[in-house]
Amino acid sequence: MTKAMNRKIAIDPVTRVEGHGKVTLHLDEHNRVKEARFHIVEFRGFESFVKGHPYWEAPLLVQRLCGICPVSHHLAAGKAVDQIVGVDPENLPPTATKIRRLLHYAQVFQSHATHFFYLASPDLLFGVDAPAEKRNIMEVAVANRELALKGIQMRKFGQELIQAIAGKKVHGVSVTPGGVHKGLSKEERYFFLDGKTIPSVYTMIEWSLEMVQFLKDYRREHLPWMDEFASFPSNHLGLVSEGGAHELYDGKLRVVGAEGTRVINDQADSTYQNILSEATEPWTYLKFPYLKSLGREKGWSRVGPLARLNVCDFIPTPLAEKERQLFKALTSDKPNNHSMHTHIARMIEVLHCAELMKEVLEDETLDQGELVRQGEMRNVGIGVIEAPRGTLIHHYEVDDNGMITRCNLIVSTTHNNEAMNRAVRWVAEKVLDGKPEITEGLLNQVETAIRTFDPCLSCATHALGQMPLKVSLFDSEERLLHEKTRG
Amino acid sequence: MKKQEASKTLLIGIGNSGREDDGLGWAFVEQVEQSNFFDGDCQYRFQLNLEDAELISHYEQVIFVDAHQGELAAGFLFSNCEANAGTGFSTHQLLPESALYLCQQLYEKVPQAWVMAIQGHQWQLKEGLSQEAQNNLGNALAWFRTMTGKLSKTFA
Repeated sequence: MTKAMNRKIAIDPVTRVEGHGKVTLHLDEHNRVKEARFHIVEFRGFESFVKGHPYWEAPLLVQRLCGICPVSHHLAAGKAVDQIVGVDPENLPPTATKIRRLLHYAQVFQSHATHFFYLASPDLLFGVDAPAEKRNIMEVAVANRELALKGIQMRKFGQELIQAIAGKKVHGVSVTPGGVHKGLSKEERYFFLDGKTIPSVYTMIEWSLEMVQFLKDYRREHLPWMDEFASFPSNHLGLVSEGGAHELYDGKLRVVGAEGTRVINDQADSTYQNILSEATEPWTYLKFPYLKSLGREKGWSRVGPLARLNVCDFIPTPLAEKERQLFKALTSDKPNNHSMHTHIARMIEVLHCAELMKEVLEDETLDQGELVRQGEMRNVGIGVIEAPRGTLIHHYEVDDNGMITRCNLIVSTTHNNEAMNRAVRWVAEKVLDGKPEITEGLLNQVETAIRTFDPCLSCATHALGQMPLKVSLFDSEERLLHEKTRG
Repeated sequence: MKKQEASKTLLIGIGNSGREDDGLGWAFVEQVEQSNFFDGDCQYRFQLNLEDAELISHYEQVIFVDAHQGELAAGFLFSNCEANAGTGFSTHQLLPESALYLCQQLYEKVPQAWVMAIQGHQWQLKEGLSQEAQNNLGNALAWFRTMTGKLSKTFA
């Protein structure tokens, strides 16, 4: 390998993400990064095999896309089939809306906790230079027992609430077309309020505040790395509700540019096809969504916690709003394009969800009122929610017998595809440029960059989950020069 | 929302009954739960996860039951399980010994633990156990029933 030539590096599999990914780095004759690609190499095809099934099966079938965020798919599909039975979100029974929102907040809470404590915290606690065998949750348990204990309890709280509403922690059922199957009894609510059996929702708020503070302190202690690592300008896409409020369950689509320009101004989510298009590349199953108005090159957006904090004008709960204002001050009220700050944004959303869960759990009417409504049958249903990882779109068309004839799913990780590729390129250019081979440092930093997006590759490609990382290095003639696997 | 202190022993079935013989762990626990010879608590998991470290910290004995892909002379194997950190973690898999290790690190408790491995033969996307797996399940259950009878004070 002494001869100068164009080269390609592949990282396969990528670890501590949900699913299976691979990275290839293509170098030119001077060992400089010519191209960086984050490949998704699995395929499941949920959009095809739900065809021919009755519409009411969709919320049950599609949640099998994922064992980590099945609730998000259950709810997005549920919102879509509501419309098929003629019920728009504003016409859903109030109790059903509260139950669905509570389920969603519990899901976002537990998913963010899972990501931060189980997947990302080793990067932060031990640093990207630590050996791979050190950078895992087992070592976190030894090094920071209190953090690990709280992480486990916070995830457990969300999962217990999901189970109380949907019957099971994973792949439970709450949604029925036009409503929900059950409300929440006083006894069930008090389980989460009284702190007798598990730490209460009030404790969850306290711990969430502590975690936000932990990350703010961490950033201050790790400057400029936290501000610079894998940072790049992008558009930001997310839902907002009335007055520009941060929204997770039902709202309008808003996009802001890297400098704060309003690119898409609060459009109905049902118009997503007028706003978004998807490009494909031959080297990955993951598509590249982009804004039609800006085109493929400039129209890609980030989604998820960072994007949601960038698109909203305020968070409608007091503690999270206070933290949002402090967060916005870091970038002088401009959109925040620092990828590592996604971890802070994610924890502000954990705090927000804890506050929201408290509000709903204190509501005495969760076991009262009608739970299901029906209207005039329609042939199209589009459900959009903010899943933990970002904007999630479910679109179904049915024939007059209610059988699904078309399905289009754009999942959160798909929106982040271009951004993840840019993050990998950022690392490759900073760490690899001019060097002839893959180092442990490169592997670690590529993983860390990808992990900020909390990609769920299983959902995005609809593949069974394994979480390995493979990096391959190729020359200009596409010859494999070096390869490292971790998993 | 069951109180976890009710029993001394926890039986955890691990697997996926939608993947043929991968459902052996659940089938074993279902049949034990329906019988009257075991008075402990039962749980079902697609896979173990970190919060299960907290769950098992409430018990004195834990038995993990899972399907096994390799050859087992009797079609099943009941063996001791010792705490071990292991080297990896994914949200899709946590080994029983790693769950015990976390329990030890976080809750300063290590329940006595065993793994009941039952040999499976078919793993496709389909419900129902193969005939060979059903035979192994029957043998494992019979052995477990006899053993719990002998050690009734242990597995309470």
